[in-house]
Amino acid sequence: MVLIKRFNAYHRVLHIVVATSFIGLVASGMPLKYAGAPWATWLMKLLGGYSTAGLIHRICAVITFGYFAAHISYVLYYIAIVRKFKFNILGPESMVPWIKDLKDIYDSFRWFLGLGPRPQFDAWTYWEKFDYWAVFWGVGMIGVSGLFLWFPEFFGRFLPGWAFNIATVIHSDEALLAAGFIFTIHYFNTHLRPEKFPMDTVIFTGTLSLQELQHERPLEYQRLADTRRIEQATTSAQAPWLTDTGIIFGFLLVLIGFFLLILIIMGQFIY
Amino acid sequence: MLVLILMVFLSPAIAFSKDSCFDCHGMKGMKDYIDPALFEQSVHMFLACNKCHVDVTTIPHGKVEKVNCGICHFLGREGAPKEQASEYKLSVHGRATAAGNSAAPTCQTCHGSHYIYPSADARSATNKRNIPLLCSHCHTQEFDVYKGSIHGKELLDNHNTAAPTCFDCHLEHLTPPTTSNQWQLSLIKQCGTCHSEEMKTYRKTYHGKVTELGYTTVAKCSDCHGSHDIQRLDNAQSTLSSQNILSTCRKCHADASIGFTKYYAHAEESNKAKYPILYYTYRFMTLLLIGVFAFFFTHTFLWAYRSMKERMQKKGGE
Repeated sequence: MVLIKRFNAYHRVLHIVVATSFIGLVASGMPLKYAGAPWATWLMKLLGGYSTAGLIHRICAVITFGYFAAHISYVLYYIAIVRKFKFNILGPESMVPWIKDLKDIYDSFRWFLGLGPRPQFDAWTYWEKFDYWAVFWGVGMIGVSGLFLWFPEFFGRFLPGWAFNIATVIHSDEALLAAGFIFTIHYFNTHLRPEKFPMDTVIFTGTLSLQELQHERPLEYQRLADTRRIEQATTSAQAPWLTDTGIIFGFLLVLIGFFLLILIIMGQFIY
Repeated sequence: MLVLILMVFLSPAIAFSKDSCFDCHGMKGMKDYIDPALFEQSVHMFLACNKCHVDVTTIPHGKVEKVNCGICHFLGREGAPKEQASEYKLSVHGRATAAGNSAAPTCQTCHGSHYIYPSADARSATNKRNIPLLCSHCHTQEFDVYKGSIHGKELLDNHNTAAPTCFDCHLEHLTPPTTSNQWQLSLIKQCGTCHSEEMKTYRKTYHGKVTELGYTTVAKCSDCHGSHDIQRLDNAQSTLSSQNILSTCRKCHADASIGFTKYYAHAEESNKAKYPILYYTYRFMTLLLIGVFAFFFTHTFLWAYRSMKERMQKKGGE
């Protein structure tokens, strides 16, 4: 089987850091959001009590700011040093959404309804770009409001106290949006849809098969083939233990996510 | 032998008639005079004297010991309510008594002995309007502060019996130590029995959620509003008046500023008139969530449907 490299070690490590800190933030934040739910006291105790959960939340928040900064640095490094500014920000290799993405959304709905063929995707589909930018929006909104709530005495010098009420609403609802989105839509789009079920391991192994590339991202395949870069992109399989660890880790994340999702649904709709 | 056993078992049942006791104790000027008319109005009017004074077995009698109310109220005899005595044993008062502190109140200290009226009776020491005075015998300072508070003034000056007394917060029989976490948390619900809207809105804030989870390190009602000294917010004496709010917040938030004190400790995101910015933020967030989820759930369900269908067609075609 010919394997194509899609994610390098940096991408894969970053995803694990993002996913782990995200689970940590959700698990330590939701007992407070749903304090009235019967599971809340239990989860809080499991995390070592309210102050320990607060510490976990803040450590994961620092990790979040850290990976955010690391990613911005990586993007700048990649564009400036690796590509020497020869990078088309609106091109197929970019995460920036452009006209083709709008067309792809329209064509996807036509395909869903049986009105046309499945659109041909390039390196990044519109739902992947949405996931990517959602992190920017989420880290921005939740991060800034979270800093307000972390250091209210400091921010109280410049802001009226009710800014913390606003920050609480934004922090709490954005968190619900992020957790609800990741544990349902991201999980389905990347792992659970019939084509990928039970899991798309590419983010953990870094590689996908040539057939999968041809089928899922025909335009990218074509581009690589046309520019004779397909040979450069092929890679040998990584050590099996690394692949297995990645897959086990991925399954664990999905399972924890589903468990937290059930608690969120209980907290949101029952109590 | 049988006669002896029977005598031992039946002895508590052999009661003197009250009249024979009143022959002496019903005489004015007599030592330990009991007013028969008032005794007949007490909750124990149906009991013979030696039901309580068990050491009186003959008339005339010698020295009489202090009555132990627990013989009925701990064991629940004679239909006597017994929970109060069990609770009392756990209370700060009961523990102090058990430890030998003779200044600590016993049953009789609060209830009296011969003239125990139902607490609804205005003459009862435990009648709602008499409670603060009752406790003030020992807790003088607390009483002085309480009687100037909004609760104290309502009860003592305006005779508003809906106002809380010592008992409502400190629990008359169970009286836990004020350091008890469980008690401090239960007080929030106690305040909420009258101030139910305020409790609901408090529960939506960080303080309210942390206490709901069982932790006492954040602000509870009395931390901001005061306890014995509680006043209306528009009273300059209030811990939350414009003169005092900063020092109240600073009890926990040492570096709080005047801006910081503008926090809504009882935020209501649904109250458009009172909190317009909060209301519109909440509305915006709700619409954002509904919008994103509606779009992507539709997207996901349609996608799942199409993918399943294509897979089935493929299988059918093979």
